[in-house]
Amino acid sequence: MKRDELAASLTARFGDRILGVDAFPGLLGRVRFDSTIALELFRAFRDDLKFVHLTMVGATDWVDHREVFYVLWSDADLVYVLLSTNLPPDAPTIASAVPIWPSANAHEREAWDLVGVRFEGHPDLRRIFMPEGYAYHPLLRSFKIHEPEDLEVKVRSD
Amino acid sequence: MSGQVPAAPKAGNPPAAPAQIADMPLEVIGQPGVPFVEIETLRAREFIPAAKEALSSLLKEQAEGKLIRPVFNWAGRNSLFPLHWGLACCAIEFAAAFGARWDAERFGVVPRSSPRQCDLLIVNGTVTWKVAHKLITLYEQMPEPKWAIAMGNCATGGGPFRTAYSVVPGVDKLIPVDVYIAGCPPRPENMLDGILRLEQLIKERGA
Ligand code: SF4
Repeated sequence: MKRDELAASLTARFGDRILGVDAFPGLLGRVRFDSTIALELFRAFRDDLKFVHLTMVGATDWVDHREVFYVLWSDADLVYVLLSTNLPPDAPTIASAVPIWPSANAHEREAWDLVGVRFEGHPDLRRIFMPEGYAYHPLLRSFKIHEPEDLEVKVRSD
Repeated sequence: MSGQVPAAPKAGNPPAAPAQIADMPLEVIGQPGVPFVEIETLRAREFIPAAKEALSSLLKEQAEGKLIRPVFNWAGRNSLFPLHWGLACCAIEFAAAFGARWDAERFGVVPRSSPRQCDLLIVNGTVTWKVAHKLITLYEQMPEPKWAIAMGNCATGGGPFRTAYSVVPGVDKLIPVDVYIAGCPPRPENMLDGILRLEQLIKERGA
């Protein structure tokens, strides 16, 4: 499969909610999409395009928005593809990919714990690296490196 | 006869003068001239009566309200049972210290794997906030008297991760620590030195 074929089939199906299919070194491409079509897009990628394996889910805080990205692998075409979407920083919520790819479970917990992205429909969205009750999402740009003594007080205040 | 130390028959040394155990300076315990070492010179047949006599004099002392702490102190500090909590790279160095080359067991230190069997907690590695409460649980599961060693810069003060969001900046935020061993990681010699210092500390401070 080529990148322009992928772009053509995706825009035929989802229209302008596919924001672009860019070149990306080492991958088939980078698909930017509107977060409202997340579940349908995931299903299309797994069932129709045969991207059977979700390699990772990650999130980045870009201050004015939060980016969530998914790396998929196709056993049929032996390529990776990157899906990426932007969420507003005040309500970073997106549908969970766990019903499509169960391997998303731990990755989404990590993205929630460190970057504060909420995944709707995740079966068990708990913190994974930080203790329960921790008040921050430490990979946000707004998180300050604490003096250790401050950190201790803040962790224990829950 | 109370408090009198039975001299070992047929011992090479002249018999020790009778002494009150409770009055003995700590260093005397375990030195030649007091019973616990001369026991080694006894024949098997003589051992049981001598041990009986020594024991009954100790018990008599205890009944009279004189503490026999020095004995426990001596016995305890020479046979520490560490629970080692290997969380990171320092655990490798800990393993080396207890391996064939440095052989920490010659100091009577034998690592065990259950906190119920241990009186010394050695924290070697980076403690994160996620497991912090488990460290406290382990420490509380150990029977008294107990001690703790923070091995390595991470356990001592957070080490290279001191300002990280996930790392406890020193396990003394969680449990009382008796000896800190610096280094990243400390050499096995350093580990042995820490154990010997802890033994010294127990000797001076009492159990
Ligand atoms: S002190 Fe150094 S060697 Fe020890 S656990 Fe920390 S980083 Fe690893």
